[in-house]
Amino acid sequence: MFNQTTAPLAIAAMLGAAIPAHADDAPLTVAMHYTQEQAAPLIACLEDYDVDGIGAEYRQITYGDYLQTVLTGRLAGQAPDIYNVYSIWAAQMVDNGVLDPVPDDLAGFVRDGYSTGTVDAATIDGTLWGVPTEVSVYMLVSNMALLREAGFDAPPTTWDGLREVAQAVATRNAQGRTETAGFAFGQSSSGAGLVHPFYALLYSEGGKVYSDDRSEALFDSPEALAALEREAGLVRDGIADLSVDAYDFPAGGIGMIVMANWLESEIRAGFGDRFDEDVAVSQIPMGDDWRTLQYAFFMGVDSGSDRKDAAWALVEHLNTPRDGGLSCMGEMLGQLGALTASTADNAAGEAPDAFTAPFVAALEDGRAISQPNVMQASEIEGLMAQAFERAMAGEASSEAALEDLDREVEDILFEFY
Amino acid sequence: MRSRDFDPGGGGAAPWVFVSPLIAFALIFFVVPLGFSVYLSFTRWNPLGTPSWVGLKQFEYLLTRDDAFWRSVGNTFVFAFGFVALGVPLSLGLAFVFSRSRGKAVWRSIYYLPQLTNIVAIAYLWQFVLDDRYGIINRALGLTGLRGPDWLTDPVMAMVSVVLVMIWYDAGKNMLVFSAALEAVDSEIYDAATLDGAGAWRTLRSVTLPMIRPAFIFVTITSFITGMGFFALILAMTGGGPRGATEVTALYTYTMAFEDLRMGRASAGALILFVIIGVLSLLQFRALRERERRT
Repeated sequence: MFNQTTAPLAIAAMLGAAIPAHADDAPLTVAMHYTQEQAAPLIACLEDYDVDGIGAEYRQITYGDYLQTVLTGRLAGQAPDIYNVYSIWAAQMVDNGVLDPVPDDLAGFVRDGYSTGTVDAATIDGTLWGVPTEVSVYMLVSNMALLREAGFDAPPTTWDGLREVAQAVATRNAQGRTETAGFAFGQSSSGAGLVHPFYALLYSEGGKVYSDDRSEALFDSPEALAALEREAGLVRDGIADLSVDAYDFPAGGIGMIVMANWLESEIRAGFGDRFDEDVAVSQIPMGDDWRTLQYAFFMGVDSGSDRKDAAWALVEHLNTPRDGGLSCMGEMLGQLGALTASTADNAAGEAPDAFTAPFVAALEDGRAISQPNVMQASEIEGLMAQAFERAMAGEASSEAALEDLDREVEDILFEFY
Repeated sequence: MRSRDFDPGGGGAAPWVFVSPLIAFALIFFVVPLGFSVYLSFTRWNPLGTPSWVGLKQFEYLLTRDDAFWRSVGNTFVFAFGFVALGVPLSLGLAFVFSRSRGKAVWRSIYYLPQLTNIVAIAYLWQFVLDDRYGIINRALGLTGLRGPDWLTDPVMAMVSVVLVMIWYDAGKNMLVFSAALEAVDSEIYDAATLDGAGAWRTLRSVTLPMIRPAFIFVTITSFITGMGFFALILAMTGGGPRGATEVTALYTYTMAFEDLRMGRASAGALILFVIIGVLSLLQFRALRERERRT
């Protein structure tokens, strides 16, 4: 019979049996959001990996569930050894001691071999927390067939030019609904379609989102107001329509969109043979001093891993060029059509095509500024999207929406900084 | 049989053995999670770290500083009342019509079908139907030269849309409850009413509705509770948008917990919602019972 002493012990024993401990020779686990098919080159490298009898295995966690899965996995003692961290999750993971700082020798490899803006994405309070992997940059992507039809041979380079072209391209049906959008925001549930172009405009205006010590939000700055007014003005003046989805671009229904490079495969599929002729990538239309946004993923190691040294060795192995060729990670990203900020991989890989070259140039020229790494970044971007949408829909002036946003974000920052 | 052969109240292990699975289930899935949630509501915790005690601060923030929380409470009431006010009479009407129609089993099965469908699939289906630009409804209206409403991008219409889809999804279930109640009414009572000269409306008002009042109370209260706490359809259909117009409190707390990783504040929000639902359900139950006693 169970008594008061034996019952808790029995429960503990059952729980212990349910959570297997890491064996020293168990494979190191690399958790990423890419599907098995997308990660095939990397998985091949992991299958070949064997150092002192320690191998490696791949675990896919879907992007939308990544952070939650990591959290519950850690609670259950099932954390992977290596993460692929989206930079805006990083501050929280670091603050809670989830990540291990990059060892000094590997830090040198990163700082010497990756563009500065991307290294910033993996850096929090001066400490480097991983090796950058995939990078995304925002640029103006144009459907040149629609622009030419409207009488324009080149994408605009200024905001006034963008308004003029967008107005000329846009068409509406008899009920007044948009048929072809001159310009569109890539609407999504995360709000990134409004927020990420805002960063590009804000950076081009010379503004920033937070004070250097992260204690203050700067949404009440003239630069933020100017950036939002540019976005909201498009909707208010009927030039852009919030009901238009980013995936209307591959379908040929959008003239211009400020978008990241990762949409390339969808656009290629949509445009088919006419891709090279009809799709143009150009600068953010903010004149000569334009800037844009980049965000990055980086490979980090779980601070609770009982084989951190081995895990870092695997991270280095996966990101180091092989005999002058691409690294395992570089090969995978290349096949995906994704960007890497690794100088060695960019040098070893094929020259970028006409679509990709402007994105790479923005990284190399230092025009792509990293998304800020703050605590609760995802929550803050959700608030930004709602505030911007209110201003665009005319429910609030841009000033009022930004003032409210500034207060809400400072409430969050106050908790942590 | 003498009482000593089986005496559930008379001590011994047997009764406890029989109810132990139920007690274990309740402990594991209700009591412990609820207790943990109550504890968390007094803490600040993201699951990466350890909870830190903050007393009543989460409640204070939600109730005094968080405009979005109050907006979500307002949306919750609009959604729940819309669902009950339109959904319950509709279910009753369907049950009444089908109880007198041929092939009633077929009709009931058809109207129950949405209940057998995955709620996310339903949300995506209706997104296609209601899409402002490409949706079937607005395309059909366009053919007649009419501009359809902005079903999912206008704040008011988005709430109307989710309420209507929720009713479409749930009407079949409530219709079955009403159907069972209607079938249980003795036909001789209707015969007597007819002999007394009662018409169809008088029979419905004075015979049918009083006879099925227990089912009416059950459906009203359970629909209200469902409406106050339901969010899966809204999550998949509008994500709470546009601009928070369909963000109900359950969805707001879900987002807080699993996207913003604010488990403490989300628990506090969930407890406030729990209290609101509990108090209103009690009041509703008492009011309906009171009316039943008076009649």
